[in-house]
Amino acid sequence: MATLAYAVEVDAVSKRFGPIVALDKATLQIRRGEVYGLLGPNGAGKTTLIRSLVGLVAPEAGTVTVLGQRMPRLDVLARVGYMTQQAALYPDLSAEENVHFFGAINGRVDGVRDALEFVDLWDRRKSVVGTLSGGMRTRCSLACALVHKPELLLLDEPTVGVDPLLRIQLWDRFRKMAAGGTSILISSHVMDEAERCDRLGLIRFGRLLAEGTVAELKAKAGVERLEDAFLKLSEVREP
Amino acid sequence: MSAHRVRAITRRLLQQFRRDRRTLVLLFGAPLVILSLLGYLLRGGGDVPKMGVVNLDGGGLGSVVAAALESSKTVSASAMSAADAEARLRSGDIAGYVLLPSDFSVKAQQSRLIAPEVHLEGSQPGLSQSILQAVSESFAALAGQAGGVRFAPHVTFLYGGPNFDTLDYFGAAFIGLVVFFLVFVITAVAFLRERGQGTLERLMASPLRRAEIVLGYMLGFTVLALVQSAEVLAFSLLVLHVHNVGNVALIFVLEALMAIAAVNLGIFLSMFARTEFQAVQFIPLVIVPQMLLAGIIFPVSTEPGPLQALSHVLPLTYAVEGLRNIMIKGADLGWSSLQLDFGVVLGFCILVILAGATTLRRRIA
Repeated sequence: MATLAYAVEVDAVSKRFGPIVALDKATLQIRRGEVYGLLGPNGAGKTTLIRSLVGLVAPEAGTVTVLGQRMPRLDVLARVGYMTQQAALYPDLSAEENVHFFGAINGRVDGVRDALEFVDLWDRRKSVVGTLSGGMRTRCSLACALVHKPELLLLDEPTVGVDPLLRIQLWDRFRKMAAGGTSILISSHVMDEAERCDRLGLIRFGRLLAEGTVAELKAKAGVERLEDAFLKLSEVREP
Repeated sequence: MSAHRVRAITRRLLQQFRRDRRTLVLLFGAPLVILSLLGYLLRGGGDVPKMGVVNLDGGGLGSVVAAALESSKTVSASAMSAADAEARLRSGDIAGYVLLPSDFSVKAQQSRLIAPEVHLEGSQPGLSQSILQAVSESFAALAGQAGGVRFAPHVTFLYGGPNFDTLDYFGAAFIGLVVFFLVFVITAVAFLRERGQGTLERLMASPLRRAEIVLGYMLGFTVLALVQSAEVLAFSLLVLHVHNVGNVALIFVLEALMAIAAVNLGIFLSMFARTEFQAVQFIPLVIVPQMLLAGIIFPVSTEPGPLQALSHVLPLTYAVEGLRNIMIKGADLGWSSLQLDFGVVLGFCILVILAGATTLRRRIA
């Protein structure tokens, strides 16, 4: 049942790509205003799950509900920000032009400056993206995802290639956004990032193996460190 | 120089191609397709140009010439009245006719001068050439009989004329082709780049509708294509002085429709390529057959039957015919043939716009 308490509800979603099972009855809920960490090794199904939220993957079974609406629905997407794993930008445009474009297709261009300042790129706004460093491109890509002030932000490994200092700053800002009511889904395989999430979901072989706060997961596994909890809880055989 | 390292590069290259089936099919398939097409076109026993013979001669020589023409293998000649011949010339049914006047035999015997009237439609140089050749061959037989006669045909052209050079005939067709070709390639590559750099995925995860993406692309590229069309047209008319008796605005509209069609064809076909590299390979498969079959070089009416049928479904055929109709014949929209040309090109435009929009969703999955 779709309720307004949840920003995202994924119910028993399955998806195959040929012989590969990408999602196997995956189920999870993200509450409004929380930072939810989707944790799992490479190829666990994190990206497929995120893509199913924005209608890029059509599930073979199960339902996806985003911001109270059963997906896929185009109008909901204007309230969702999506940052792909690869910094998907137009290399011939400047940082500002890229952010402006993604704002425009989502119907809001008043947040360009805020978004660029949020990722510390305002001073480099006139730089053509093709000339930016990898970390700057990642930041620019993030600015493109949040320029329209979405209610739900989907970040597919957003801090890959970002230096430690900026990573800390970004996490500060994610927390601030969450405090302001934005729901955030972050996929990662970095444990110290996972510790900063309100709740975590452990995904492997397309299945959600465990869900809960960091403390809950540690307790469930009976270990001290999140990394150990992850290893213990994901001790399942490949189906 | 290390043979080992060179071999590593060569080997890697071949390994890559082994995985890229599409490229392999194009690499080894496209030349066969093109050569088969060309072989069939040139040796397939296509139709010969149709012409009329109007024999008004009271003497016996006219019948000799008429019989020689009617048995000719380079043209398909048939007897008809002068009025009928003129009407069929104007309708494009025949590429020309020869008229043997009533005093033809008398003049030939008295003044040793053979002076038939040859009326040519003139818009297709290949056809005119075949008819002139057949006519002069038919008189060679006569010259042998009569001995020492001079052959001085009086040639008139319905369109064009003796001052027409090759560029005047091909210029009209190339205006359409150049724009179609370049716009197609640029759009296909740009669309694949959108996919390759991941931005298409972002667009599809936004509230954008498929139709909005296609329309946005179409308008953007159309702006570029229209500027290019205007440039090509202005250069052809003002610098190259390609013959034109028609309305420049009409030429531009037809050219622009082809450009819009090319934009959408580029979007549509980019679905069948994964990389820019593969898209470029559509050129031999999409563009070359159209160049051969659209009547640009070889008249459609003289192609082998099955190829004619193929030519008649290629939109470029109508664009080329339309441009020639306007530029060489001075056609306007009152002409039913030009209405057909515009209709087909417009229809093609709409078809590829729909094709581009409906297949876009599949492209990113």
